[in-house]
Amino acid sequence: MASNKYKILVVEDDEKISSFLNALLEANDYQVVLAETCGLAKMMFNSHQPDLVVLDLGLPDEDGTVFVRDIREHSAVPIIVLSARNSEEDKVEALDYGANDYVTKPFGSAEFLARVRSMLRNTRHLLSEDFMVRGKFVLDEMVIDFETRKLYLNDVEIKLTQTEFNIMTVLSEHCGKVLTYAAIVNAIWGYPDAGSIKKLQVNMANIRKKLGMKPGEDSYIVNELGVGYRLKERTEK
Amino acid sequence: MGKIEKIIRCLLIMVATLGVSFALCLFLQEWVKSQTMIPTVFVLAVIMVSLFTEGYFFGILTALISVLVVNYAFTFPYFAVNFSFSENFVSAVVMIIITIIVSSLTTKVRKQEQLKAENEKEKMRGNLLRAISHDLRTPLTVIYGSSCTILDNQDVITKEQVIQMIKGIRSDSKWLIRMVENLLSVTKIDGKNVKIIKTATVLDELIDSVVRKLRKTYPEQKVLLELPEDVVLVPMDAMLMEQVLINLLENAIEHAYGMEHLWLKVHVENNQAVFEIEDDGCGIPEDKLPHIFSGLYSVNHSGVKPSDSQKRNAGIGLSVCATIVKAHGGEIGAENRSGGGAIFRFALDLEE
Repeated sequence: MASNKYKILVVEDDEKISSFLNALLEANDYQVVLAETCGLAKMMFNSHQPDLVVLDLGLPDEDGTVFVRDIREHSAVPIIVLSARNSEEDKVEALDYGANDYVTKPFGSAEFLARVRSMLRNTRHLLSEDFMVRGKFVLDEMVIDFETRKLYLNDVEIKLTQTEFNIMTVLSEHCGKVLTYAAIVNAIWGYPDAGSIKKLQVNMANIRKKLGMKPGEDSYIVNELGVGYRLKERTEK
Repeated sequence: MGKIEKIIRCLLIMVATLGVSFALCLFLQEWVKSQTMIPTVFVLAVIMVSLFTEGYFFGILTALISVLVVNYAFTFPYFAVNFSFSENFVSAVVMIIITIIVSSLTTKVRKQEQLKAENEKEKMRGNLLRAISHDLRTPLTVIYGSSCTILDNQDVITKEQVIQMIKGIRSDSKWLIRMVENLLSVTKIDGKNVKIIKTATVLDELIDSVVRKLRKTYPEQKVLLELPEDVVLVPMDAMLMEQVLINLLENAIEHAYGMEHLWLKVHVENNQAVFEIEDDGCGIPEDKLPHIFSGLYSVNHSGVKPSDSQKRNAGIGLSVCATIVKAHGGEIGAENRSGGGAIFRFALDLEE
């Protein structure tokens, strides 16, 4: 097998799901490693060093979040979590432990592949430090200058408050990853309190207005209802 | 908490009834100068208390107090206890027997009413289940039948036929997914006693999520938005409310024939966020309007059964909307627009 292919570890105990994920990923030129349990997944992870992990949360031996925590102790490899609907808590927990993104079951092949692609593309950019140009973060037409603490969109400066700029900084540091409300609140204010999520939401609403984003349209900040926010990945040119 | 409130309520009923009876007896004694009616008034008091309180306790307590009061205040010597054992004993026993009979009767009646309400609920649940199982059968037939056909006849059928059947499998599983999401939402509420957990949600974020999700299923459909300029926070279960809006938009897309525009409007009025889903399609027949949220109008009320090929999830989707909005303390309504088409409207309370 060609070694320049991306290697993806799929951890899923349902045979039918893992079999179609396997077929789908192989058909799209990825190399796939399968594991049915957490224990097996840890072994596979160490021996194969995958470029991406696709992880089902409900595994027979241990909860998937345990695996996320274990990986994050020594690796920054991107993790996509497969989760059932109606369990926002699970998603939030997995994200807070360090998962990068989630796909809700049931999902279509196009949706799944899109997430895999952007996740791999994104880490490649982050690793090559392509995003950062002389103290500036560049994402499509948006530039964040950390030295002068200014944000530009299409070369026009957007006036942000201190808090708003800090929020954009945190999002840009984790570009492409879904950040939960709690994670952002902790990064900005250091501690969560009763009103802090609301404070974040109001700040975010103002940022979105200032950036000229309208509901339902693609925008730089992707809102994940009930979970958190994510700065979109760079579009491939 | 509920138990303590109940006891306080019963206690209040008892004290009030006894007070009124006492005053009435004083009045009778002063103005009518008659004593014969006094025990009758207290018998009435005992019956009333037994009727309107739960269990036997308060009835019996009222009976004992009544005996004492009649003895103390309304038999010679007035306002002094004249303890003649046998007389008091007999009236006490009579009062208690009355209490027990009345209380047991009311308990029985109450139980029957409860049973009746439960039966009604069970009946509704049964109807919904029947409608769903009826609706599930068609897509399952498509999925099972198509996959069997493809597997068993690989050498004979053409590639076009295979693609055709797999497309059928895909579209019917998509339909099943939407149906299951609706059912999950309903089970999340299930019964009016379960309170949903409301979190303040930014209106723009809700609408953003709804429009993006809808685009996945209907990439071509444009939704015209009219939203307030300011940041509006509405307490709600965001996942459920998302389901409501998606159902209503989907309902318009699937059923409003000839529709050219689809609006999603929200405005703030009287400390409420008013949601309106509006289309300029064919509108809703007047005779169907009253039943549109009952979940079963297409099966039960139109007289003609819809054919299997007709879009099936209309009734269930809308009844799910009604259930979710109700659980938020609101009411959903539908009407026809004057210029053709329909409007679905509901309101949610804003934060104080």
